[in-house]
Amino acid sequence: MKLKHFINLEWKQFLRASYFQKGVAIKILLILAALYFTAFAVFAGAFLFSIAKEFLPKVDPIVTINNFIIYWFLFEMVFRFFMQQLPVMNVKPLMTIPIKRSTIIHYLLGKTSLSFFNFLGVFLFLPFCIVLLVKGYAVINVLCWFVSIVCIILSINYLNFLINKNNAVFYIIALALLSLIGLEYYGVFAISKPIGIGFNALYNQPYLMIIPILLMVLLYYANFKYIKKGFYLDDAVSKKIKEVNATDLSWMDRFGSVAPFLKNDIKLIWRNARPKQVMMMSFLFLFYGLIFYTQEAYRDMPAFLAFASMFVTGGFLMSFGQLVPSWDSEYYKLLMSQNIPYRQYLESKWYLMVVAVSISFVLSVPYIYFGWEIFGMIAAGALFNIGLNSFITLFGGALNRVPIELNVKAKAFSNTNGFNPTQMLIAMPKILLPMLLFYIPYKLINFEAGLIAIALSGVLGIIFKNYIFSKIEDIYQKGKYKTIAAFAEKN
Amino acid sequence: MITTSNLSKKYNDITVLNIENLDIPKGQSFGLVGNNGAGKTTYFSLLLDLIQPSSGYIKNNNILVHESEDWKPFTSSFIDESFLIGYLTAEEYFYFIGELRGQNKADVDALVAQFSDFFHGEILNQKKYLRDLSKGNQKKAGIVAALIGNPEVIILDEPFANLDPTTQIRLKAIIKNLAKKQGVTVLISSHDLLHVTDVCERIVVLEKGEIVKDLATSAETLRELEAHFAGSEVV
Repeated sequence: MKLKHFINLEWKQFLRASYFQKGVAIKILLILAALYFTAFAVFAGAFLFSIAKEFLPKVDPIVTINNFIIYWFLFEMVFRFFMQQLPVMNVKPLMTIPIKRSTIIHYLLGKTSLSFFNFLGVFLFLPFCIVLLVKGYAVINVLCWFVSIVCIILSINYLNFLINKNNAVFYIIALALLSLIGLEYYGVFAISKPIGIGFNALYNQPYLMIIPILLMVLLYYANFKYIKKGFYLDDAVSKKIKEVNATDLSWMDRFGSVAPFLKNDIKLIWRNARPKQVMMMSFLFLFYGLIFYTQEAYRDMPAFLAFASMFVTGGFLMSFGQLVPSWDSEYYKLLMSQNIPYRQYLESKWYLMVVAVSISFVLSVPYIYFGWEIFGMIAAGALFNIGLNSFITLFGGALNRVPIELNVKAKAFSNTNGFNPTQMLIAMPKILLPMLLFYIPYKLINFEAGLIAIALSGVLGIIFKNYIFSKIEDIYQKGKYKTIAAFAEKN
Repeated sequence: MITTSNLSKKYNDITVLNIENLDIPKGQSFGLVGNNGAGKTTYFSLLLDLIQPSSGYIKNNNILVHESEDWKPFTSSFIDESFLIGYLTAEEYFYFIGELRGQNKADVDALVAQFSDFFHGEILNQKKYLRDLSKGNQKKAGIVAALIGNPEVIILDEPFANLDPTTQIRLKAIIKNLAKKQGVTVLISSHDLLHVTDVCERIVVLEKGEIVKDLATSAETLRELEAHFAGSEVV
C-alpha cells in the first residue's frame, strides 16, 4: 500500500515538472535510442552463439563467451557510470510521517532494479540462453548460468549506486580497474584468464550460482546501510559546517569587467561538490588522445583523430559549458535583477571556457611525442573549441533549463551524476562538426587543408564574436522568463 | 519614479494582478500589504522583470522595465534566499555585489560598517558560507547587500519576516533613514501592519490582485488597516 503512494508521488512529480513538456521531443529521442539499443542487444544475443562459433570453431561457444564476458561487464560499468540516472526522491516531507525508513530505502533500491540498463544485459543474454537450450545444452546449467549473469548485472547496478554516491568507493574501483587493465594490456598479468575460468565454473557447476547471488545481496545490503546512514537532513540534524578557506583572487581583476564573474566561477568550482566533480572528469579528457593516437588503426582515419583532438582540449568546455546557465540556477533571480547585462554574464562564461581550453592546450604539449601532425590537430582543435565550440555550447545551454543543486554530494538521495543523456544529444553536433570540417577538405585536397579548415572555423568564430554573442544573447533573453521559472522549481 | 499603467498578470486566464494606475514618487517609502496571494510578490517580480506582464507596463525612472535593462544600475532588491549566492561568505557576497555596482572594497567596507549593530556580530568574520547561516541571518545579509552602491530604488519583499525583534526595530530605523534623508524610493511588502505603518509614508492594500486602498499614513492608518483585514470597515 505504501508502495502505491510512492509510485503515485513519483508519477505526479514526473508529470508536473515544468520542463516536462519542453522535454517531450528529447524524451522521444531517448525512447527511440532505448529501443535501438534493445533491438541491437536482442539481435546480437541471438547471433552470439554463431559468432563465437565462427571466430573460434574449435572451442565450445559457451566457453568463448565465458572467457570474454568480463569485457561486456566492464563496458556496462563504464556505460552506467556516465549514463545511468540514479533515482532521486524528495525525502524531506516523508521523514516526519509514519513510514519506516527501511520501506523508503527498499523502494528506492527496488526502483533502480527496474532501470533500462539492467534490461540491456538481460536482452543480450536471454536470447543467447534460448539458443543454447535449442542447441541441446543442459537445461539446469544454462538456467543457473543465466541467473548468475542476472545477479551480476544487478550487482553492477548496486555497485554503480555506491560508486556515484561515495567518492572513496569510486576511487578504489577506478584504481583497481585501471591497474588490472594496465597489467593485462602490457602483458604482465592476464586477469581475464582466471575470470574466464571463473565464469566457466559458474556454467559447469550450477551450485556455484550461490556466489553471484551472495554478491548481489551483499551489495544491496551495503547500499541499504549506506543510505540509511545518510537518511538525515543535512540542514536539520547532523549539520557539518565547513570552515571557509578564502583565497585572494584579486589578481584576476586585470580581466576587467568580467573579473567579478570569473572570480565567482572559480569559487563556484572550488567550493561545490558537483562542479568539482565535473572538473575532475574534464581533466580525464586530456588523456582521451591516448586511446586514439596509440592505435595504428586510426592512423588511416584522420577524421576520427580530428574528433579525438578536439576532445583533448575541450573536456572542460563541454562538460562545464553545457550546464551554463544551470550552474547559477540557485541564484539566477539575483543575476537577472542585479546590475548585469546578459551579454557580460555570457561573455564571462566564454572567457572561462577559453582559459580552460588554453590551459588544456598547454598541458597537451607532450602529445608532440606522437608527431607534429597530431599536435597540429590538437592545436587546430583548440582553435575550433575557442572560436566555435564555445559558442555552440553556450547556445546549447540556452535550451537547458534543469536546475542544479550545487553542493549535493553529501545527500544520498539526489542525483550527483555529472552527465545525462539529454546533454549528450545536444552535444552531437559538437562532435560531428569537427569531423566534417576536417574530412571534406581532407578528401578534396589534403591533410593540411583539413587542419586549416578546422583552425579557420575557430578563427572566423573569434572574428565574428560580437555578432555571435548578440545572437546568443537574444536567445537567452527570449527564454529568460521560462528559465527563471524553471530554476525556481527545486528538484 | 515608478509608474505602473494598466498592468496585469494572468496565469491560464486567472488574473493574479491587475493595477490600472499606480505612481510612486521619488523618495517615497511605499508599503504594500495584503493577504497571501494578493499579488505583492507578483508585483515586485514584474518590477524586476523576473516575470512577463500579460498587459500594460511598469516604468522605472521612465525606463520600460520589460524592454530595457537600463533600470538595473539604480535599482536593487532582496526578494528571497534565491538572491544569495550560497557558496560565498557574507563579505565575499558584499564585495561581489559591490563590484557589480561599481564600488570598490573600501566603499563596501565603509557601508557595511554602518550596519555592525544590525548584524549583531553574526554575519561578518564568521568563516561561514551564506548557505550555512540561519534564515534570519541570511535575510540580514541580503537586505544589507541591497543597500550597496547607492541605489535610488530599493525593493524588499517581507523584510521583517524571520527577523528577531531587535533587528526588526533596527531595520525600521534604516528604512526610515533611507527614504527621509537620502531620498531613496523604498518599496516594501509586509504582513505586519504595525511595522509597515511605522515605516511607510504611503500604504497600498492589495486584494486578489487589485488595489483596494491607497492611504497616506496617519495616526488613524493602523486602526483602519486592522479593521479592513478583520473584515469590518471603520465608520
